[in-house]
Amino acid sequence: MPYRPLSLLAELTYRCNLQCPYCYNPLDLAAYREELDADVWCRVIDEAAALGVVQLHLSGGEPTLRPDDCCAILRRARERNVYSNLITQGTFLSENLLDRMLAAGLDHVQISLQAAHAELADSIAGTQVHERKLEALKRALARNVAVTINCVLHSRNIDEIDDVISLAEELGVKRLELANTQFYGWGFRNRRALIPTRAQVERAGAIVRAARERLRGRMEITYVLADYYEEFPKPCMNGWGRQFLTIVPDGRVLPCPAAASITTLHFENVRDHPLSKIWNESEAFRAYRGIEWMPEPCRSCERREIDFGGCRCQAFLLTGDAGLTDPACSKSPKHHLVEQLTSEPEAALIPRRM
Amino acid sequence: MNAPALAQGVRFRRSADGQGLLLIPEGVVNLNDSAAAIIELVDGQRITMEIAALLATRYSMDVAAIASDIEDLLQRLASKTWLVLPAAQTH
Repeated sequence: MPYRPLSLLAELTYRCNLQCPYCYNPLDLAAYREELDADVWCRVIDEAAALGVVQLHLSGGEPTLRPDDCCAILRRARERNVYSNLITQGTFLSENLLDRMLAAGLDHVQISLQAAHAELADSIAGTQVHERKLEALKRALARNVAVTINCVLHSRNIDEIDDVISLAEELGVKRLELANTQFYGWGFRNRRALIPTRAQVERAGAIVRAARERLRGRMEITYVLADYYEEFPKPCMNGWGRQFLTIVPDGRVLPCPAAASITTLHFENVRDHPLSKIWNESEAFRAYRGIEWMPEPCRSCERREIDFGGCRCQAFLLTGDAGLTDPACSKSPKHHLVEQLTSEPEAALIPRRM
Repeated sequence: MNAPALAQGVRFRRSADGQGLLLIPEGVVNLNDSAAAIIELVDGQRITMEIAALLATRYSMDVAAIASDIEDLLQRLASKTWLVLPAAQTH
């Protein structure tokens, strides 16, 4: 059966006015200044829909730094019956921009918070934005659009997870995503400052389980695990080149948002090739698709089509070989690398910047 | 409101090859054929018994059994906040 993508993550720009140290964007942000224009994005939406994509995630960077282009792309998605999701930090989400994006067909907006309280949130974002984000959330919640709050968790804020849940309840959101930091890009660079202890993660997990039970039917809580404390790795992207594709600001097409970190792969660009050709035929998409590429212990593992060998990017970042079992797996011969990761001495935070 | 309805930000559609999909805020859920047949009829207008009657006719099946399957599915979706049930049907 041929593989068909269902979801497209469109990263319009890597520019952002926040400096969150956990960001998964690449370190060489300035290398992505040649951004695709709206016409090319609209052509890409057409091609993606024809290929099978039913859901579009507009992200970055901060996508609303290109408000007109966001609207044009949303309109095209709606014309192609593609569900649209805006992933934003909300600091530019004015009434006017909301009006325009809703008219263009926006189905859902995810707004990030860095913490429950302004002082900590602003220190993580590197700028005073928490109050503005709350205003944006309230504006979105008053409108005819579904809203999710996203909060990325790490050593600095994970102990306040119950306050984040309370805030989401007070605001009346129906969806809350609590995501342990995944260590790519700036997050990987800052891993020694951000990685929580096992005790912190276990406490947070227990709080999430209790809150889910209590809020069942009222609020859906999505919890992204800290894979380095789990027995098995995350089923990254539900399999490489299987359902997801990401297009980064300069037009290169990646099987996952962090894949540019795999320097041994070459990624084709939508400026040069049709999307279908890149999806079906490019070396990068075929490299780890299916199960044929798998080494042991994945190849003979009963979980090979549950977690798909884990994350290729994490395998590359920790071992230098993207084709190895994700070291987060307890069966990986290189699992000690993940144990090292969680026991490194703390280091100072380096804010994300261009 | 007396009829079940998909929640705000939740949409049903079929893929090019006919697979029933529930589009939720940040994901795509593959539906089996019977769930897709049910959800396709959830439009905020039809009450559960109307959906059951339509499907019972279409598949020549017992309406009470279908109604019970529909209730189970709708409850499951409601517990995930993907569907809004009429007040009288919630526990």
